[in-house]
Amino acid sequence: MFALMNNMPNLLGDQFASKFTWFPKQASTFAAENDWLFFFITWICVLFFVPIAGCLFYFCWKYGKPKGQKAESNTAHNTPLELAWSILPSFFLVAMFVMGARSYLNQRTVPEGANNIGLKAFKWGWTMDYGKGVMNPELHILVNEPTKLSMRSSDVIHSVFVPAFRAKKDVVPGRYNYMWFEADVASEQVSKEELEQAIIENGDGVWDYDKWQFTQDGYKFFDLYCTEYCGKNHSVMQTVVVVHETVEDLDAWIEKVSKRPVDQTPEAWGEKLYNQRGCAGCHSIDGSKRVGPSFKESYGNKRTLTDGDPITADEDYIRNSILYPKKQIVAGYQPVMPSYQGQLSDDDIASIIAYLKTVSDYGPKAAPKTDKEETSTEE
Amino acid sequence: MSAGSLPSGSQVKDPGYPTPSENYLTNSKGVLSWIFTLDHKRIGVMYLVGVTVAFAVAGLLALLIRLHLFQPDGMVFQGEEANNWYNQVFTLHGAIMVFLFIIPSVPAALGNFLVPVMLGAKDVAFPRLNLCSFYLWVFGALFFVSALCASGLDTGWTFYTPYSTTTDSSVILATSGAFILGFSSIFTGLNFIVTINTMRPPGMTWFRMPLFLWATYATSIIQVLATPVLGITLLLLIAERTMHIGIFDPEYNGDPVTFQHFFWFYSHPAVYIMILPAFGIISDLISVHSHKRIFGYRFIAYSSIAIALLGFLVWGHHMFTAGMSSLTTIIFSALTFTVSVPSAIKVFNWLATMYKGSISLTTPMCYALAFIFLFTIGGLTGLHLGTLATDMHLHDTYFVVAHFHYVMVGGTLVAFLGGVFHWWPKMFGKMYSEAGGRLSALLVFAGFNLTFLPQFVLGSRGMPRRYATYDPEFAALHQMSTWGSMLLGFGLLVALVVLLRSLKTGKRAPANPWGAATLEWECTSPPPFYNFERAPSVGDPYDFSNLEWDAENERYVKIEPAREIVPEEQPAAEPVHADDSK
Repeated sequence: MFALMNNMPNLLGDQFASKFTWFPKQASTFAAENDWLFFFITWICVLFFVPIAGCLFYFCWKYGKPKGQKAESNTAHNTPLELAWSILPSFFLVAMFVMGARSYLNQRTVPEGANNIGLKAFKWGWTMDYGKGVMNPELHILVNEPTKLSMRSSDVIHSVFVPAFRAKKDVVPGRYNYMWFEADVASEQVSKEELEQAIIENGDGVWDYDKWQFTQDGYKFFDLYCTEYCGKNHSVMQTVVVVHETVEDLDAWIEKVSKRPVDQTPEAWGEKLYNQRGCAGCHSIDGSKRVGPSFKESYGNKRTLTDGDPITADEDYIRNSILYPKKQIVAGYQPVMPSYQGQLSDDDIASIIAYLKTVSDYGPKAAPKTDKEETSTEE
Repeated sequence: MSAGSLPSGSQVKDPGYPTPSENYLTNSKGVLSWIFTLDHKRIGVMYLVGVTVAFAVAGLLALLIRLHLFQPDGMVFQGEEANNWYNQVFTLHGAIMVFLFIIPSVPAALGNFLVPVMLGAKDVAFPRLNLCSFYLWVFGALFFVSALCASGLDTGWTFYTPYSTTTDSSVILATSGAFILGFSSIFTGLNFIVTINTMRPPGMTWFRMPLFLWATYATSIIQVLATPVLGITLLLLIAERTMHIGIFDPEYNGDPVTFQHFFWFYSHPAVYIMILPAFGIISDLISVHSHKRIFGYRFIAYSSIAIALLGFLVWGHHMFTAGMSSLTTIIFSALTFTVSVPSAIKVFNWLATMYKGSISLTTPMCYALAFIFLFTIGGLTGLHLGTLATDMHLHDTYFVVAHFHYVMVGGTLVAFLGGVFHWWPKMFGKMYSEAGGRLSALLVFAGFNLTFLPQFVLGSRGMPRRYATYDPEFAALHQMSTWGSMLLGFGLLVALVVLLRSLKTGKRAPANPWGAATLEWECTSPPPFYNFERAPSVGDPYDFSNLEWDAENERYVKIEPAREIVPEEQPAAEPVHADDSK
């Protein structure tokens, strides 16, 4: 039985129950029913396929004859038999349709009082909106509580897919699509030592989810993929879903990511935002050309815009480019960046500018790190 | 004349061999005699060469895709532009396969050659339109490929908006190419409809047509009715890109899902343009190589028409997750299930045809068996996708990729190969190596399964499609798939070599090497340029009772019992009323 395999011991981290399983781990209330239906259909297919393939080979062996021999029979048709095999399978089809449609309706009917999280998809990343201006690329939800995602896209069609939840919905620009699910397995947390070790080894760059298989806050996670082709970095348009055990735990995490911690420099916070909020997907810091201009030697440098005007990439230009990204485009690039208006606080933007200064030799020299005034603006 | 294996005293009916001046391949010489030919057989051969080249190009791209996916981070394309390269390659693979190979493969290449000969006619109804459709195909192909190569195309073959209205790759050139190819397809369809309606010989009623003609007829109806919608959609897409008319792009108050409705209203029926002719081929192949009357002729014929009509009503199942209302989604799911019934009927009828037959495991039969096996898997896995709840998980994953490859490659391509092997002796007058042909069928079958079976599991495990790089947990299955694709590619190469070698070294083909009863086997191999001197007498296309194997000449012949010609009664010398005395 395939279904039994789902209960085998954990060999492949959190995503799969076993090496030979058909499905990722079941982690939402939809999963068990969906998988049951999948195997129900599969067994019906087997029920039909095995006799068909069996007959195919058996007839070849049994009725294989040298050339010139006549067929044993030349029956032209048998209407009752043909009607039987036309009509009888239809009952199976009706069963599949009804069960599929019923549980689909359930998946489309959001329960009263579901937690609402905003989701914005853009090329190539995700922003989850937890309200009160708190945004983060990771999706953090509560266990055993329905969560509704209100989804919009700022550019092309994307699609949210969480295999562990067996749930998927396209994110279409120009409208809000919604989906809901109720996770029933909470994410485990790794030990403090393991987390600290990983943070040191990972360094300052983009957090390597694939390598560590837990988030930089130490939670194991479920994958969230984009499944509607959306261009160059479609295949890395992924994020993670973390399921919290308690409201307190979730609130603590939201609090933690909502603003720059008191003990962090703007440069460090800006670098974190650069890695987390989708900047790194299009803007390199090593000078290589991606979808957008590289941030290396960008701050304070002179640029030519698409309309031919020269411009210096000063603080104001960078701020405008973050908030109104389609207005002043550097020659040679497309106006494809989504606006971050309302998604980054003034302090966030100032931190990003501070970070850009550290990767550029141009412009007024970046203030030395000992500058107390800069580090404590948010007090 | 009658050899040992033939019943003595019977009369053999066999057209013999064509003379070089009759043979359509040699009756006129020079490049111009091909370029300006109006002979449907030569146009069919030119199409065959064209679609084979297109297939080879797109097939090599497929191997490139599989090689790239051998490693999670991508093996072939490297550097900053790696993903762009990958996206262009999969777009090119899909677009060429769909528009330049699968859609024209059976109807245009085999259909052009076979439809008039099967009808006992001298040509199609509009030979000039036929040549025109071929040049539109060539023109569209050049347009298309050069557009794709110029600044590339990275939209996928589906051109989904608003990606296609905002990307800076050459969407307008490519859609114009597809637009032109659409006309080629419409012309072919129109030609066949008129030909089959008006040029059937006396005695060939609708239900005495070979099933290949039924399938071609059903296909042509779809081509004529659905392709214009694609043309309109592509024109609207161009208008949206250049003039921002605001129909598809949300930035100008359009709705991207509208594009999907328009696009799939053509492209789902197009799936049946691809598979229906394959059904026709398999119906003929199974019957001929089992030397047994096709079982349930009428059910097979009607089911082709049913598929053609129902195929127009199920396009919404490509958009179950796009955001249609729940009611619409459920209605489309129900309609989708109805279309599976006629396909199932065909499979059962083919099996019943083999039952108590006299099966010859020739190369075409091996391909036909592979078809039934693979198409059944492709069809059955469609049930998982038509069921709404499971589709929420499987939509846009590798499960879908595996499903449609089982139908398009395991189905259409394998049937096309079976058809080419079956009619090759008729088309070129040469027999190929049976051992080589069977080996190719085995390699293709094994390679295909190794490539695409793992992809079902990849999909149910959550691997999204169109990914240039992927999470390491999927690596093992991807590697299996890549090895399989190499084997599949090798098998196809063997098939090509076997066929091309036969042109050089193959034995001369008799008029009827398989023992088929349809009309194309009653003219010589290859047929004379005029096909038939006079309209042949039409019998039952699936009556094999008077076909006998002539072992001495390695051919099947039609025999008739020896008849003594009774002298006609002479009228009496004197009128009966002459003797008035009585």
